[in-house]
Amino acid sequence: MTTSVVLQKVVKAYGDIEVVHGIDLTIDPGEFVVFVGPSGCGKSTLLRMIAGLEPITGGDLVIDGERMNDVPPAKRGIAMVFQSYALYPHMSVYKNLAFGLETAGLKKAEIEPRVQRAAEILQIVPLLGRKPRALSGGQRQRVAIGRAIVREPRLFLFDEPLSNLDAELRVQMRVEIAKLHNDLGNTMVYVTHDQVEAMTMADKIVVLNSGNIEQVGTPLDLYNNPRNQFVAGFIGSPKMNFLTAQLKSVDSKSALVHTGGHDLGLNRAVAAKAGDTLTFGVRPEHITLNEGSGLKLGDMRVDLVEQLGGATLLYTTLPDGQSLAISLEGQRSVALGSEVTAYVDPDRCHLFDGTGAAA
Amino acid sequence: MTSSAPRLTVVTGADDSAARWRKRALSTASHAALIIASILMLYPLLWMLSASFRPENEIFSSSTLWPSSWSLDAYVRGWNGLRVSFGTFFLNSFIIAILAIIGNLATCSLAAFAFARLEFRGRSFWFALMLGTLMLPYQVTLIPQYVLFQGLGWINTILPLVVPKFLAADAFFIFLMVQFFRGIPKELDEAAQMDGCSPWRIYWKVLLPLSTPVLATAGVFTFIWTWDDFFGPLIYLSDIRTYTVMLGLRTFVDSTAQSDWGGLFAMSSLSLLPIFLFFLFFQRLLIDGIATTGMKR
Repeated sequence: MTTSVVLQKVVKAYGDIEVVHGIDLTIDPGEFVVFVGPSGCGKSTLLRMIAGLEPITGGDLVIDGERMNDVPPAKRGIAMVFQSYALYPHMSVYKNLAFGLETAGLKKAEIEPRVQRAAEILQIVPLLGRKPRALSGGQRQRVAIGRAIVREPRLFLFDEPLSNLDAELRVQMRVEIAKLHNDLGNTMVYVTHDQVEAMTMADKIVVLNSGNIEQVGTPLDLYNNPRNQFVAGFIGSPKMNFLTAQLKSVDSKSALVHTGGHDLGLNRAVAAKAGDTLTFGVRPEHITLNEGSGLKLGDMRVDLVEQLGGATLLYTTLPDGQSLAISLEGQRSVALGSEVTAYVDPDRCHLFDGTGAAA
Repeated sequence: MTSSAPRLTVVTGADDSAARWRKRALSTASHAALIIASILMLYPLLWMLSASFRPENEIFSSSTLWPSSWSLDAYVRGWNGLRVSFGTFFLNSFIIAILAIIGNLATCSLAAFAFARLEFRGRSFWFALMLGTLMLPYQVTLIPQYVLFQGLGWINTILPLVVPKFLAADAFFIFLMVQFFRGIPKELDEAAQMDGCSPWRIYWKVLLPLSTPVLATAGVFTFIWTWDDFFGPLIYLSDIRTYTVMLGLRTFVDSTAQSDWGGLFAMSSLSLLPIFLFFLFFQRLLIDGIATTGMKR
């Protein structure tokens, strides 16, 4: 029943300008896949090509083994939720939900129970008689999702559906969409620029940058083993720290890296040669101030302290002028301008070569 | 709370009252100027209205607006004074105006939909060309059009006045509607496309229902312009039974025989009534249409 989607060398160009450069991707049946990336990375374009709203310039789109490049949107068995909801302002909520079914030529008696069922799933039954303008942002979003559900599509597409909602509602809708995926079991493709949404909802994250896939993997896979500096910087909040480093020596089992004025010995091989300049990456939450809990990274001055309640964020400067963010568990009192000594677990450090690839 | 409020007004009291006086004086002066201007604008209309109720010999001899005696004679005379009753002219005018409205709304909106939403070869070129026709004065195309309609045998029928409206010939309305359609979010079209709508259904079910302000604007303007049109009917209609109200009014003024001024003013006053009513009922939509045209809703 559930649907697979395969993109083969998919290219999108506007005139001479190519914006999506030969994407290869397999979305397994029932998967919740999130396309994530900065603005202009091509994630929405890719989604719109799957939907059929943008023609595919090159390559193939295959849904359930059938090439879909030239099939009109409505015939692809896809429903899409738009960023601006795109509810028909002149129709009631009921009409909005029923419109697609009416267009498909279904009888009133068939439409009614389907609309009712979708409305029950999303708890919008009391809203069915209202016009979209009489709904709050969250309710509109529900109706937009309802309009997708009611068509019983094989594939759901979401184009940044939560970006117009306030923070609290966003979290709530995030949970609801994830629940919906569990209940319906359909394949879903979700586009967002918010890496927290990506991390929390996805079975599989596709990180896009400038029209290319940077990495595909489970959320934790991307977090723990980023393939390059872009993914390392994009996934995780607060962002990973990047420091300039020198590779002093390397062999098949260990490496010695000089960064922040100290030498760090790593128990793994590094794909670079001694003397190379590298980028040393460490996540703020993997740095501690507890002596003996790892290798000494250096002494640093505290410039700013942010108390988040559950965590304390320190923004510090190393003696060589590089900045470093540290996230400490719990509520810690650290004086501004004071010196702290930071330690890192060598197994949780990352190294990237000059091209940005993980070394 | 209550004691602090008067103290505040005491501090600024003197300045405040002077400023208030200045404001009031300015407002009075500007209102007076506007009222005088309105009277100046309305005077000819009021004069015509009063002339239609005056005895015939008093029309050009008295400058007051108030007639010495009131009578409806001119209305009765004007309505029945010609070979054909004025009711026929009203009916003819209505038929032409209503057909023109239907034609303009149906075809200009279709053309506008194509320009605003459909992709086709040379779209910008055709749009520019269409806009270019706005620059052409009516008089320039008049003779070729006349020759064309004569060839079709349409002279002395209402067809030359009505058929072009069904061919989206009014570039101004197309432009107005294109601007309006462009203001409707494209995502609605895309949502409809995902819902399985053809372009025709998107136009009919999504775009048109959202476009009532611009449709009303186009409808009202079409009515006013068609109703007031004198030149078109003058050229194409020669049988008095096909005359419109504007042509009927002309027949009151005869350079060779005596003119019935009272009848003319009475019928002129009546001829304003439909426009006045139309405007009254659609004024709100009209303002909406002009205000929201081209703006994101």
